[in-house]
Amino acid sequence: MRGLEDKRVLITGGAGGIGAATAARFLDEGSRVVVLDRDEAALRHIKREMPALSGTIVADVSDADDVARAFEELDDLLAGLDVLINNAGISIRHRFMDISPQEWRQVIAVNLDGVFFVAQQAAQRMLAGGGGVILNMGSTSGLMGYHYYADYNASKSGVIELTRSMALELAPAVRVNCVCPGYILTPMQEAEYTPEMLRACESKIPLGRLGRPEEVAALFTFLASDDAAFITGHYFVIDGGEIAGGLASQQ
Amino acid sequence: MSNNERGILAGKVALITGGASGIGRATALLFAREGAAVSVVDVDEAGGQAVAQAIVDDGRQAIFVCCDVSQAEDCQRAVQQTVDELGGLDILFNNAGIIRRATVIDTTEEEWDRVMAINVKSIFLLSKYAIPIMAQAGGGVIINMASGWGLVGGRRAVSYCASKGAVVNMTRAMALDHGEQNIRVNCISPGDTDTPMLRDEARQLGESDERFLAEAAQRPLQRIGQPEDIAQAALYLASDASSFVTGTTLVVDGGGLAG
Repeated sequence: MRGLEDKRVLITGGAGGIGAATAARFLDEGSRVVVLDRDEAALRHIKREMPALSGTIVADVSDADDVARAFEELDDLLAGLDVLINNAGISIRHRFMDISPQEWRQVIAVNLDGVFFVAQQAAQRMLAGGGGVILNMGSTSGLMGYHYYADYNASKSGVIELTRSMALELAPAVRVNCVCPGYILTPMQEAEYTPEMLRACESKIPLGRLGRPEEVAALFTFLASDDAAFITGHYFVIDGGEIAGGLASQQ
Repeated sequence: MSNNERGILAGKVALITGGASGIGRATALLFAREGAAVSVVDVDEAGGQAVAQAIVDDGRQAIFVCCDVSQAEDCQRAVQQTVDELGGLDILFNNAGIIRRATVIDTTEEEWDRVMAINVKSIFLLSKYAIPIMAQAGGGVIINMASGWGLVGGRRAVSYCASKGAVVNMTRAMALDHGEQNIRVNCISPGDTDTPMLRDEARQLGESDERFLAEAAQRPLQRIGQPEDIAQAALYLASDASSFVTGTTLVVDGGGLAG
């Protein structure tokens, strides 16, 4: 990808799964990468795995004050920001009728409040520094209905609309897009799904398999690069064709 | 894009319709630089020859095939000649397209049929001949040219809007049908891009190029697209970087449809 060398990149939720794969890919592209996560142990681990990282920051994206403090740390590490991968997110598998107010609050707090808090801090620095790219983590769950993740799905729809509105207000200096993965084999997915459930997912994906974190990382690097210089305000689906047909496509 | 000397499409064969000018030309040149052998397919013989020659002069491999993409025999020949001369077919970029800027009232039946034939039927025909070859080789990539006007309506372009809406949904349907053959099918939806087709629109509407292009630049990124912007999107979809992406539309429009 063109134009990623020496770019200053922040990846939230970057200590594992898609975030960690994305950190590795940006390092490959020659970028300077800082990973933010609330999981201190996972950050220690990734620091050992990826010694080229420019730093790690412990922070909870759902807490605005903590995010403000984290960005002061980031200023010390990178003195500005060119690319934000706004990736941190959580999900809880539960029926709509069973969602407690606390659970609802928790999911929205990380997936939507967190994306907003981090994006606003990042955009401040990008506007001051002459531009940048913000990539928010959406999901095919923000585009279609899915059982047992009503709060998560609502949060991801919110991220998609937030992306479009941010793109309008921050243009032309800052490009803002959203990545919508379908089923990707991550630790989050493996923890929540039984092998039978994973096989059921594979059977409804035209490419016949789940995606890999590295494949989502490749989409992030493309959208962050100069190759995507005219792309802003949109969401990009990476799902092996799953939502191309919805239920009607099932044989 | 590539960190690899040989390019990220090294060893691939790409067939690009409408390859003589605009986005098709930019994509042919980019794919060749990234190592692909390129079959430039167009009705414009002089333009198509020139693009193929430019690639060959650069030390890369290319052929030109003169082809009316609305004709089954031509499409079959284009695919066959590509396979015979370049040794296979891995990437089909169904890029050729035309626009008629007119309402239902002002569009003639001939114009309607021609827009549908060039913009939609050509994708059906070329894919029909290309897919068995890709399937036999273990997979392939099809990229269809849609448009922002395949996702929302536009004024005085009813046949074009209908054709591009068809492209968006036939892309999804083809992705479902051919996923198990490891053939990925996606489309690109550009906004206004500085091509001969865009300038022809100004002419059809009786507007000056300057005024038309200035109006087209009124979008969040405050400029119109360049053929190279769209070619880079095609390269992403053609390459292994998008190996889990199928059935989608990649919008490249400077934020035009964001709000």
